[in-house]
Amino acid sequence: MTPLFGASLRRQEARPPEDASGLAELVVKDLDGNDVRLGSLWEDQPAVLVWLRHYG
Amino acid sequence: MFCRSHAVQLHRDRSKFDAAGVRLAVIGQGTPAHAQHFRETQEVDLPMYVDEARDSYKAAGTKIATGAELIGPRMVAKGASVGRRDGVHQGRIIGHAAQLGGVMVVRPGNEIVYVHLADDAGDNPPNEEVLEAAKAASKA
Repeated sequence: MTPLFGASLRRQEARPPEDASGLAELVVKDLDGNDVRLGSLWEDQPAVLVWLRHYG
Repeated sequence: MFCRSHAVQLHRDRSKFDAAGVRLAVIGQGTPAHAQHFRETQEVDLPMYVDEARDSYKAAGTKIATGAELIGPRMVAKGASVGRRDGVHQGRIIGHAAQLGGVMVVRPGNEIVYVHLADDAGDNPPNEEVLEAAKAASKA
């Protein structure tokens, strides 16, 4: 049976990484559709990254 | 609803994050068009990005919620409270509905100096707590 909303059947634990090196090379898009390397956001100053559940 | 509330709270405190000397970046699921629509309908002026494949969610270690962590009685009660406070309501869900979010403060050199990954759909850290970490990161 598929769980509602794709929810996990078992409770998960959040697992933050030791450092952000695994995030740095990932690419997201800005509102204009341009690729942005995540690491560029904290190359020259600290960054506050907020992952929202969704834009809805 | 909680993501709308979180965005509204961030928008209200945007100047405080700027004053702390940090770059604020909001990441969501969906397409740039979804993000633009969200920005316009929620009237939030924030630097927004999209991660349709959710790769950054996975790399950040965020959770996929259980049903109770999404829509259990505790979430319903909390949602009603947040809705009254911020004047928001639940919209159409874009992307993986059970994906949870989180907040990180990262310094140059890939150093994570603060992390709060959501334990349930309504678990967002207060901006005051994040701002303290942001200020400390800027001074270090």
